[in-house]
Amino acid sequence: MRVAVIAGSISGGFRIVREIDGLPGVDVFVVACNVGKRSPLPRWSREFLLALKSLDWGALAVTAYRYARKGRLIILHHILDDATSIERLRSLQCDVGLHAANVIYREPMISAFGLGILNAHIGILPGYRGRCVVEWSVLQGDPTGITVFFIDPGIDTGKRIVLREFIPSRGWKRVEALKNMLFGCDARLYRKALEALMEPGVQFGSNDTAKGCRYYVMSKMFKQIVNEILTGRANLA
Amino acid sequence: MDLETALSRPVQLDGYEGLLRGGLLRRRAELRKCWRHFVSTECMASLGVLAKEVELFLSAQDAFRDWRFAVTFGWMNCDASFEDNLRQIALAHNVEHRPSETGPEWLSVANFNKRSKNERIEVLCDRYRCPLNIGLPSESDVAEELLRQLMVPDRAKIEAGKEFDVNMVLLKLNLVGVRAMITRDLRFLDALNYFYELLRRSLARMRANPRFLASWLCIYAQLLCTPEWQKCV
Repeated sequence: MRVAVIAGSISGGFRIVREIDGLPGVDVFVVACNVGKRSPLPRWSREFLLALKSLDWGALAVTAYRYARKGRLIILHHILDDATSIERLRSLQCDVGLHAANVIYREPMISAFGLGILNAHIGILPGYRGRCVVEWSVLQGDPTGITVFFIDPGIDTGKRIVLREFIPSRGWKRVEALKNMLFGCDARLYRKALEALMEPGVQFGSNDTAKGCRYYVMSKMFKQIVNEILTGRANLA
Repeated sequence: MDLETALSRPVQLDGYEGLLRGGLLRRRAELRKCWRHFVSTECMASLGVLAKEVELFLSAQDAFRDWRFAVTFGWMNCDASFEDNLRQIALAHNVEHRPSETGPEWLSVANFNKRSKNERIEVLCDRYRCPLNIGLPSESDVAEELLRQLMVPDRAKIEAGKEFDVNMVLLKLNLVGVRAMITRDLRFLDALNYFYELLRRSLARMRANPRFLASWLCIYAQLLCTPEWQKCV
């Protein structure tokens, strides 16, 4: 299986690679996007700063060099939707893309991958689509967790769910910290999803949008209530 | 933990309803104190005879009217204008309405969005002449689209300090507020929370339509006192 990590930065891409590199039967590529269409100086300054910020920048440099030498590190100079970017990705003939960039994917980009692009969404689908789903789940007393699914051009409406993992919110006092923890689970869950996809007769869960809602950015007032709920639970534990 | 296990386990709300109610009432108390900052003296003057009622309503203690029963019989017709009906709802007065055997044709969201700005306002005011109709299950698609527009493009414009269509945003806030009154959907309530918190950035422009601004704040004041919010499904 050929897999491309679609990342907003080189260090962000290799954070995912660390988890899936060496997975039997998987060939990994890293595609670093030019998110925000930055000109070269700000783009490479940002890349350099992000690399320095990563705890293990020495290992990052070595891995990046290894990937670059094998032609597995692809630097896109145009935006992701640009025809040249799509053509470059299509030429990789990847089966699966792993979403690790702050971008919205349109149909031509999604169809550049044989199976599609996976997203590790920090909410349980089909119930919780859209923004601030961790906050909304806590507010409404529902379980928190992550859903890995194949995206479509809509907001968390892709029909095929590969896996769902419930990750309890108990013990976390602040929702931002809880969200950071959940965001940090993406690489591990992508690994699990790829393993599931390589199993014979893989079955997808259904993301039936009629069974859920789209959520939006939450107000400060509700976020405060969410933090009160979390604090109350943590103190009880 | 698998899906079935997680869903079959009863979820402890840990006093969530109490915390929610507390938060809403704190906001209501804040609104009671500072609404004059939002509705300026000039705005109040332009409200004419309505000014006194708005003042009393926003300064008073926790009044709200439960409209849930109103939508149990389907589409409603009203003789009064949209603005008059909206004012009645905002001030927790009764709305003279009678059930209709048939509602209007289904409104396609795609077609609605293709219309010009003025046409869209006209369509909404005409269709929701009795604003309670926005709470009907048949109006879910339109209501969801109004919520999406508020929380995505309109919010983004206001946060970026860009120009926005005041009349349309206030109309949507009023309709979304009425929907929240009827469905008790927390997402619709939170759209009003969010725009209230954004008011300091948008206030100068929002004052351009004092009637819609006043009715929105009165509807919001009612929502803050409303109990029995439902989980969104």
